[in-house]
Amino acid sequence: MRNRPYPTVLKPYGQALVDLAAERREIVCITGDLTRQCEIDLFQDTFPDRFIHAGMAEANMVSMAGALARCGHIPFVHSFGVFSTRRPLDQIVNSVAYPNLPVRIVGFMPGVSSPGGPSHQAIEDVALMRAIPNMTVIDVADAVEIRKALPVLVDIPGPVYLRLKRGEIPVIFDEDHTFSLDKAQVLTGGRDVALIANGMMLSSALAAAEVLEACGIGTRVVNVPVIKPLDQATVLEAARAARLVVTAENHSIIGGLGSAVAEAMAEAGVGCPLRRIGLRDTFAEGARTAPPLFRKYGLSTQHIIDAVWSGLGQADPAPQAPSLEVAPGEYAPV
Amino acid sequence: MIPNTTLGRLADRLRLRAVRMVAPHGFGYLGQVLSSAELFAALYASHYRPGTDRIVISPGHYIIAAFAAAAEVGLLDEAALETYGHDGSVLEAIGTEKSPAVDLTGGSLGMGLSGALGFALSQRLRNEPKANVFVLVSDGELQEGQLWEAAMFAAHNRLDNIVVLLDANDSQVDGPVSSITTIEPIAAKWESFGWAAFDVDGHDAEAVDAALAQAIAADRPAVVIGRTSTVHGLSVLPEAADGHFIKLPADLAEAAIAELEARLA
Repeated sequence: MRNRPYPTVLKPYGQALVDLAAERREIVCITGDLTRQCEIDLFQDTFPDRFIHAGMAEANMVSMAGALARCGHIPFVHSFGVFSTRRPLDQIVNSVAYPNLPVRIVGFMPGVSSPGGPSHQAIEDVALMRAIPNMTVIDVADAVEIRKALPVLVDIPGPVYLRLKRGEIPVIFDEDHTFSLDKAQVLTGGRDVALIANGMMLSSALAAAEVLEACGIGTRVVNVPVIKPLDQATVLEAARAARLVVTAENHSIIGGLGSAVAEAMAEAGVGCPLRRIGLRDTFAEGARTAPPLFRKYGLSTQHIIDAVWSGLGQADPAPQAPSLEVAPGEYAPV
Repeated sequence: MIPNTTLGRLADRLRLRAVRMVAPHGFGYLGQVLSSAELFAALYASHYRPGTDRIVISPGHYIIAAFAAAAEVGLLDEAALETYGHDGSVLEAIGTEKSPAVDLTGGSLGMGLSGALGFALSQRLRNEPKANVFVLVSDGELQEGQLWEAAMFAAHNRLDNIVVLLDANDSQVDGPVSSITTIEPIAAKWESFGWAAFDVDGHDAEAVDAALAQAIAADRPAVVIGRTSTVHGLSVLPEAADGHFIKLPADLAEAAIAELEARLA
């Protein structure tokens, strides 16, 4: 893995989709009027004959995608996370998930990464998609994971919800990173606390782990890009080994990664305390930039450190997360 | 009056089959068949080419009519009709993924036309020869926004092999469509969205047949609006029968079967 601040790249998803589509003629690319924002201008330029403008009509877009999948195509449907899940929920259920069709629903700008207010902040998309039978739910952490994930998820026989950060995408993992649908990844090996994170919160979990390790707290960071189906074995193994489990997600704590981990622990009878980092059943608001929202709504690296500190019953003040100067083109966790 | 023509007789046979499918339950989606019988008769007898064309039943409640029509033209085993709506049957009362004899149906309203567009787009993406994509839509569904999203998309993308059969029976769960949210003028709405529209008496099977031929030939997506009634063709039904979900106790079912059999004799 690289060190913070991470370098960033633009359009790793868009490029990965083009690369994949060069080999897989079944892939069709559909946009809900957010082509450049969803990185698929690259696809439009490269394969215009497989590119469909659905316009601002998400319900129609999703139901059309379902029928295309019935005909043997593999539709990748693109919008912001809010518009690709909330708005066409019934269409996802009836036109895609119930018939178990290979439609890939891609939602950009997760959680409070959008400073655009609740209308644009997908804080419950994972919960909505996770509740739907047949649906696979994926939240990737960086540009390498995106590139590794696409050739794997393209062959999932049923529907997939893929959640992606918008804009500058950090490069956290090395090139030998592997993406598995079945196995979560144990990134560090401590035994006091299990930090289970994904998506934009993985880098924060890694940053928190460094601080905690420096204080003598063994920290096992587990990257869980596939929220459903959850790799229960790896999660439970980490939970059983630890005195405390902390989940971190850029999403409501209700129904997302934290809930999935909680359900797995409870059903397995793993009795260690659990703290969930995420939006605490609240909407956020519009802002000029996103980082203040991460801080205000409890999604910062410091919040993870504090949760571990109090969760382990440490009496002294928690250590402080270092603040990093970030140059243009770089990314550091909040 | 039921026109005494071949298509009209086929429509009555669909009605009779549907009454027999609903009778064991004592209630069911019979009004949907009574209103759309001529639409289905004209479509299945003259235009729909199974294996080549696609057929979508957007309101899954109408699947009973599609099953009856499929049995008439040999696409569905007649014996299967007897299982309609019973526990464990593939022929569920509202269309599902298991429903035979159609390419797509649905229980949640307003999605069928979008699915049809997906079928038409697939033909285009694969450079396949154009085949017709027929979509049965109900007038109440016009209250769903998705339907107009689909209508816009079809016209903009010149999907001229899309043909909608619109059963305008003025019936929705809470009463006449016209009393809930006005959707008229239906034809003008579709035309303003770039469609060819043919507004006909939906119980005149010959008129429906002719309109369907024109709709298929049109250089735009086209809609045949059949003006219908959910109690048409069964005079034994009480005046106040609820067209969306008709109650059919045994004596009434018997009378209905007798009426239809007499007319078909």
